[in-house]
Amino acid sequence: MIELAEVSKVYRRGPEEILALQEVDLEIASGEFVAITGKSGCGKSTLLHLIGGLEPASRGTVRLDGRDLARLREPELTRFRRDRVGVVFQSFNLLPLLTLLENVALPRVLQGASFEEARVEAGRWLREVGLEGRLNHRPHQVSGGEMQRAAIARALINSPAVVLADEPTGNLDSVTAAQVLELFSRLHREFMKTVVLVSHAPEVGNYASRVIRMQDGRLLP
Amino acid sequence: MKPWLFRLPLAHLRQNPGRTLLGILGIALGTAVYLSISLAGATALKSFENGVTAVSGQAQWRLQGVGAPLNEALYPVVRRQAAVKAAAPVVESVLELAGPHRGPVLLLGIDPFSERAFRDYELSRAGDLSDAAWLDFLTRPDAVLLSRPLAARLHLKAGDPLPVLVGAKKRRLRVAGVFSSPSGLYPLDGAVMLMDLGPAQELLDRLGGLDYIDLMAAGDEALLPGDLQKLLPPGVEMVRPAAQGSRAQGLVASYRLNLAVLSAIALFVGMFLIYQSVTLSVVRRRREIGLLRTLGLTPGQVLTLFLAEGLVSGLLGGLIGLALGVGLAQGVLAVMTRNLTSLYMPVAAQAVLVQGGLLLQAWGLAVAATLVAALLPAREAARTQVRAVWHREELEEKIEARAGLIFGWGLVALILAGVGANWKMGDGPPWPGFVAAFLILLAFALFTPLAARLLGLGLQPVLGRRLGAAGDLGCRYLAGSLSRSAVSIAALACALGMLIAVTVMIGSFRRTVNDWVSRSISGDIFFGPAVFSTAAYDQFLPPEVAPELRLDPDVADIYLYRCVRLPFRDRYILVIGGSFEVLARHGGLWFRQGDTREIMGRVGEGGQGTGVRGQGPAAPFTNSPKLPSPTPYEEENVGAGLKPAPTEAPIKLAASSSFNQKPKTKNQKPFVVISEPLAETFHYKEGDTITLPTPSGPREVRVAGVFYDYRTDGPSIWMDIGLFRRYWQDTHLNAVRLYLKDPGKVPEVQARLQERYGDRYRLLALSHRDLRQGILNIFDETFALTYALEGVAVVVAVFGIITTFLVLVMERERELALLQAIGASRRQILGMVLVESGLASFLSFILGAACGSVLSLLLILVINKQAFGWTIHLYLTPGIYWQSLVLVMALGLAAAAYPAWRAIQPHLAAILKEE
Repeated sequence: MIELAEVSKVYRRGPEEILALQEVDLEIASGEFVAITGKSGCGKSTLLHLIGGLEPASRGTVRLDGRDLARLREPELTRFRRDRVGVVFQSFNLLPLLTLLENVALPRVLQGASFEEARVEAGRWLREVGLEGRLNHRPHQVSGGEMQRAAIARALINSPAVVLADEPTGNLDSVTAAQVLELFSRLHREFMKTVVLVSHAPEVGNYASRVIRMQDGRLLP
Repeated sequence: MKPWLFRLPLAHLRQNPGRTLLGILGIALGTAVYLSISLAGATALKSFENGVTAVSGQAQWRLQGVGAPLNEALYPVVRRQAAVKAAAPVVESVLELAGPHRGPVLLLGIDPFSERAFRDYELSRAGDLSDAAWLDFLTRPDAVLLSRPLAARLHLKAGDPLPVLVGAKKRRLRVAGVFSSPSGLYPLDGAVMLMDLGPAQELLDRLGGLDYIDLMAAGDEALLPGDLQKLLPPGVEMVRPAAQGSRAQGLVASYRLNLAVLSAIALFVGMFLIYQSVTLSVVRRRREIGLLRTLGLTPGQVLTLFLAEGLVSGLLGGLIGLALGVGLAQGVLAVMTRNLTSLYMPVAAQAVLVQGGLLLQAWGLAVAATLVAALLPAREAARTQVRAVWHREELEEKIEARAGLIFGWGLVALILAGVGANWKMGDGPPWPGFVAAFLILLAFALFTPLAARLLGLGLQPVLGRRLGAAGDLGCRYLAGSLSRSAVSIAALACALGMLIAVTVMIGSFRRTVNDWVSRSISGDIFFGPAVFSTAAYDQFLPPEVAPELRLDPDVADIYLYRCVRLPFRDRYILVIGGSFEVLARHGGLWFRQGDTREIMGRVGEGGQGTGVRGQGPAAPFTNSPKLPSPTPYEEENVGAGLKPAPTEAPIKLAASSSFNQKPKTKNQKPFVVISEPLAETFHYKEGDTITLPTPSGPREVRVAGVFYDYRTDGPSIWMDIGLFRRYWQDTHLNAVRLYLKDPGKVPEVQARLQERYGDRYRLLALSHRDLRQGILNIFDETFALTYALEGVAVVVAVFGIITTFLVLVMERERELALLQAIGASRRQILGMVLVESGLASFLSFILGAACGSVLSLLLILVINKQAFGWTIHLYLTPGIYWQSLVLVMALGLAAAAYPAWRAIQPHLAAILKEE
């Protein structure tokens, strides 16, 4: 269960204050697939970052399974991000140094698993997302869609409670974007993960169980 | 090309101030070191040349003896010749000031009435001198004229006393007046004084002798040697005055060359910084390059832009380096003049002569170095196709793929270095050796990419298991970031290699010298005048001292020592007369083949007297100045005039018995032993015959043995002192060695000598241990400059390491943020950065140690042998390897500390900003 109560986020740039989120209240139940849509700059990515513990709220509380993220210290927050949250980014963010297999295995290794064990699991997840033929390729050797699928596999390998996806189709063509959204939908169905997906594209609503629209840092009714 | 396009490289330099600054500083330090050495060397030599020019004045030719004074009777004979327009007799010696101001001062004994044609000193009454000063100068035996700069420096005026040391004797001179040189040129940077010829001969104990006679031809000066040839007795050579300068230059050429080459190392290491900086720039600006190419920029223009970026660092770094170099040069000059004076010849230079040519040369070198360093990455940028301007990953793949090939080029460089090391090129500087040294550095730099990759991949499983993700990722980053880290590792390895090589060389050299002192120099006490330079050959032991020492009840044996420097072909060599019989009894000299006692025995049986038979054309008179013998020794048998000690058996002094025999057969040539540098320089070996110029004409001597010798003031020929005295007609002694009956009494005898002679003379009685320590102190001071140069190279390399890790972390900011986003802890990220930097530092050490070991062999076996003719025995110095390891690990980890600290700061903002 994700709960946001009167959450605001303010960014400061010099003397200027930018209000990215304004007193947002939101509840997302476990196993839900929520799509957050809105125009660029409406605050949807900020909302996602607060849910994932990637940055703190300026005001209000963010709770995941009853735990207030603001009360977690850095090591606990690190563990929280590592064990409870999987993140998928618009620009894939795979480490160029590592192969796809190693990229996917990395969160498990960071969690303390042995490399052998992590590689086996990573292979399984890569096959799950249809990349069995690309295990030992480096990121720049595969297509954008393949990179994003590898990033999804990486987000899932630690069996997180929540998968957060920030514009996962933003860098993809429409056909590939549809394939990636279909993959999210399938994974949500098969593994019962809570998925929060942010996108400016309205068609993501076709894959989600609930669509939330945002404008100027507020949720639209 | 539009000038405003150059705003791009400038903007990038401004955008990365830290990296830019380190690159500029690296070049600046390299330039400063190079310039300071060049300026100091040129100033010291210019000062010496000024002295030669000032002393030789208008002289066209000079008559001089071969390591002996000329007979003054030659002067009127020469002057009367029609072919001679003017002649001026001179005696000279470098004395030491004994008053509150110390330091060497050149005394020129001149005939004031012959001088005016030659030197522009204002000596006449119409010049600076008052009538009283002039009268004083001509009539008082202690009167001297001081040069204007010396008088100003010492704050002396006419009538003031001037205490000096003439050898061991303290003498009190009196200032009669001050002279000046309108040209502004003075020997020894102005530390010069004039004395009338007669009193000067008396002061210097050279009655009847002259050091040289300057000549001016009445007609064609080229014909003068032919006109005078028949008049000249054997042992007199006629040379151009400038020959003295060029021979002196030859003496210090290797010293200067070695410093110049070492000083260039810092600049070489600085080139790595520029290479790295421009490479990083190419990688970081790949999109910009692609865009510019798309917009129509030609490959040539891309090349120009990147070269311009390197050039800015070169120009600015060079300029800063010039300022730093001029400042540093003053300190370097002080060390250098001390070294040159104590080892080679008196040199005095107070202020650095800033020569525009050398500034331009250093600046040009800095700019050229940066352009060469920037050329490779700039060419890559220019050659890259529009759509495929390097991505980091592509560049990495390219280097990974080429690592083997690059390693192969390294092997080729190493093989070429081997060829260069074995290439002998006449008698000039050891250029092939220096090229070989550069190739060795290059080879190990080229080994770096493959070595880094193998080390990273090889340790990845081990460190991955031991340290988890930090170990695994650290290894991967080392193996997978060659474009960034390999250059820094190579730069540090090169600097470290040079440091290790020079340290091993110096350490081996020091131990060799230490062994040489033990094996070559026998004796319990070394007794002679306290001189400021090993090259003060005209500073003598007072004549009564040796006979008195012989009566000392604790003295078992006395070794007599006399040394002269003489021109031999285009060089100066030393001829040393020593008591070989004493060496035969006590040992001494370390021969490269054979045993000292056996060789000394052979020399003794060789019919030393053979050399006295006449050689060369008959001369109207001999060149023997008939100097009064300062000792009671007879010339033919030094020991003959001595009385045995009253309570002891007669003490055998040098040059007695077989050592002074008349020739056994007419054709026998006397034996000598020669130093290894002489053998190497002139290609002599055991059994060869040398035609030696002597005051009694050229003499043929045979080489009985070649011994190791590490004195710096020239290659040497040693002969028994009896033979020396016959050839040179010279009974002075520079020093003696005492062999005590009970070596445990050294302090007691030292104290007695001090008590006996301390009031009268300034003599020094050194124990063997004192002598060894003195030699090693001079040795250490000589090499202090070398260590300083290498230290700068290491500092420059550390700049490279700091830049690398800073850039590595900055470039990976997003990757590090990502790692944090997917759950990496601070400790894991910190560990990863430190593992990578630790491995990079360790690899620098491994490559540097290997490179340094190979280089040290080259320095010891090739470069030193070719440059100085010295055999240095290799002694491993494990200490430097451990010290280097600790140093490089500490520096590497410290250099990574700030970037590592940056790395563990929450970086999520960076990735979020991107998203």
